[in-house]
Amino acid sequence: MIKIKKGLDLPLTGAAGCRVSDARSIVSYAVKPTDYVGLVPRLMVVEGDEVSAGDVLFCDKNDERIRFVSPVGGVVKAVVRGEKRKLLAVVVKRQTGNGMSSPLSFDNVDDLKQKMLHSGLWTLLRQRPFGIVANPDTTPKAIVVSGFDSAPLGCDYDFALQGREDDLCRGLETLSMLTEGTTYICFRPGQRLAQSVLSHCGKVNVQYVEGPHPAGNVGTQIAQLCPINKGESVWTMNIQDVTVLGHWVATGQYCPERVIAVAGPLAKNPHYYQIIAGACVEEIVRAQVLNVDYPALECSKESMQSIRVISGNVLSGTRIAQDGFVGAYDSLVSMIPEGDYYDFMGWLMPGLKKHSFSRTFASGFIPNCMSGLFKVLPEELQPRFDTNTHGGVRPLVFTGDFEKVFPFDIYPLQLLKACIVGDLELMEKLGIYEVEPEDFALCEYIDPSKTDIQPIIREALEKLRKEGM
Amino acid sequence: MFDNLRRLIDKIKPNFVEGGKFGWLQSTFEAFETFAFTPNTVTRHGSHVRDAVDMKRAMITVVIALMPALLFGMWNIGFQTSLNAEDWPYELGTAASWWYCLWFGFLRMLPLIVVSYVVGLGIEFMFAQIRHHEVNEGYLVTGLLIPMIVPVTTPLWQLALAVAFAVVLGKEVFGGSGMNFLNPALVARAFLFFSYPTHMSGDKVWIAADLWGTDAIAGATPLGELAAGSLPSDTALDMFIGTVTGSTCETSVIAILLGAIVLLVSGIASWRIMLSVILGGGAMGLLFNLIGANDYMQLPFYYHYLMGGFMFGAVFMATDPVTSAQTNAGKWIYGLLIGLFAVMLRVLNPAYPEGMMLSILLMNSFAPLIDHCVVARNIKKRERRKEAVR
Repeated sequence: MIKIKKGLDLPLTGAAGCRVSDARSIVSYAVKPTDYVGLVPRLMVVEGDEVSAGDVLFCDKNDERIRFVSPVGGVVKAVVRGEKRKLLAVVVKRQTGNGMSSPLSFDNVDDLKQKMLHSGLWTLLRQRPFGIVANPDTTPKAIVVSGFDSAPLGCDYDFALQGREDDLCRGLETLSMLTEGTTYICFRPGQRLAQSVLSHCGKVNVQYVEGPHPAGNVGTQIAQLCPINKGESVWTMNIQDVTVLGHWVATGQYCPERVIAVAGPLAKNPHYYQIIAGACVEEIVRAQVLNVDYPALECSKESMQSIRVISGNVLSGTRIAQDGFVGAYDSLVSMIPEGDYYDFMGWLMPGLKKHSFSRTFASGFIPNCMSGLFKVLPEELQPRFDTNTHGGVRPLVFTGDFEKVFPFDIYPLQLLKACIVGDLELMEKLGIYEVEPEDFALCEYIDPSKTDIQPIIREALEKLRKEGM
Repeated sequence: MFDNLRRLIDKIKPNFVEGGKFGWLQSTFEAFETFAFTPNTVTRHGSHVRDAVDMKRAMITVVIALMPALLFGMWNIGFQTSLNAEDWPYELGTAASWWYCLWFGFLRMLPLIVVSYVVGLGIEFMFAQIRHHEVNEGYLVTGLLIPMIVPVTTPLWQLALAVAFAVVLGKEVFGGSGMNFLNPALVARAFLFFSYPTHMSGDKVWIAADLWGTDAIAGATPLGELAAGSLPSDTALDMFIGTVTGSTCETSVIAILLGAIVLLVSGIASWRIMLSVILGGGAMGLLFNLIGANDYMQLPFYYHYLMGGFMFGAVFMATDPVTSAQTNAGKWIYGLLIGLFAVMLRVLNPAYPEGMMLSILLMNSFAPLIDHCVVARNIKKRERRKEAVR
């Protein structure tokens, strides 16, 4: 058992309840090149093309074997471009059901790779360092799958993957073919899924990880199990995608279905939805605002104001429009209030509802002395989370705080400073290969200087990756 | 009322942006605006929610932590004068005298604090404007620390000069708060100490003769007495409570410990540094006890905690996050050495009765080196791990 001591669990309200709505009838889907780090896409369709599920929409310009495919069958409704004609999304309007296929078998690893690449499933595999889609020409030293999400409001996979245990095990067995090293899957102690995996996949190494967020981040787990040195790579896959892979192996069908949690302080009826990857969240968000079951009818503009919809968790997720699309790797949609308000003397007031890792606000003294009295804090005492930065950007002044929420054998502040000045050699020495921006999310959260740390880390990693190319 | 204030600010704001009528006051305006209202900026990506603590909150927490020492210091200024002055208006020991001590000290401290803030913040605002930065809150603390560690009779013009020197050469030339390597408050103190030694040390600076002016009544500090070769006349309890002579707000160990509690509970200052400074000082004190070559060396080691600015330095000065070591292991080394050197300077060098200031400044300049060594170990570990794979 691995015990993570450093970290922080944010007490956000609105965790998803154990109930699933079927939202597979959503019509609009998108595959977004922006979900994939460093991808330069080559568009393979034009507006109006008919595609079936698993047909290629665009591919990687640098490696055309890596294909990004349509999650559903239908018509290409729009090719969305941004500044400098950058491809932002390919939107597919769903029309037809999925075709039939037969179970797959693989002669060897190369055959498996070939078939995965062709099916588009390959893009679900990510490699560290850099967080890019795995390079099919390399072999990772290990594959690590995280079996739980410790992030705020994170998806409960024990619930979401109920009844998918067979697919999960099959997927894990398939994954383990891709490495000569170990394939790990990490669970919280006592997780139900762990039992199924233990009893059905002999090839997979099951580990238990205990502790606050980021214990469930795959980066934290890799650092404990098989830290990445320069020149090495470790591959990871989201556990929901592992079941997609398992399902594909069993049926030959590309069926990227997953169960996502829709949660957050602004979700009035937070629970799980069964969707197909890349689904448009508009109707789900509306249903949450109106507190009705999906699908919801029109709702007024006012009630939709000041809602931030995030694909992923509040710490490292991606902001999407209220009619945007779920990200390629995400199992959670968070809805939190925008924080564009002024706060009179905010720096001086006691701050009963302000959450802080430091104990500089009155709120810092509540849970410790009150949690004995209340099982659940009364609403007046629950901290309020929104997108306000709670202060202006300043130089990095305080030290020693990042270390408290950063469970790596890395000096976070020193690494961050190396990234800011762009010293590639120093970055390497300080362990940049072991981290992804999401590993710094908690540092970014607690930073009193309000530095945007994750983009700095991403930029540094990209710089390093391009240097090595 | 808040709404009206907000409306007023929004109304006049266009004048203060780039190209506006008062564009050259942009940073100043921003400083006052964000003073009144925490800004409405929202996150754009990455961590969508942020911790409520910001630089202002962190700095104001330190200011709050300084309050016990400041209040006691004010009272003690009056108290010391009341003991020694001939024309103290109230009978000693009465409640009226007690309150008058506080009032007297308040009136003595106020000009020092005002001069420190006006000069320091003036320079900060100017630099922020030239750089088109927002004004950094670091000086909220520095500006209060400086008057708290000087003798009460320090002439205001000297204080102003020291503040200007510290802010410009101690901080702004390096890029402002967060970039400096010496604690600016101690730079100011050192500037005064070396430029105007007659006003900063000796026996005739510590007790104000009257409400105004720089006249002083003779009265040695415990450290002064020791440097002169005699033992301190104050009892340990007096020094612990703080009813002894010394720089304005450094005398009371109790008041400083109250501040330390605020800093430690809020998590603003490093407990590692505080503890290690105290351990380092104690270790050196005990070592001198063992040697025992003279009276000073035989002084019980805990006297070093009670005398002079040791505790004030350990709690408020050594813990400055910018100028201390930044790694946790480094903080231990940094703190231990501060404690060691402070006591060593005190005992072995009678020319500088107080070793704390110099010791912290010395370790400030060594902090980057300490960190470098600590980080180098981590780097080496990583390299070894890589070689082990091969």
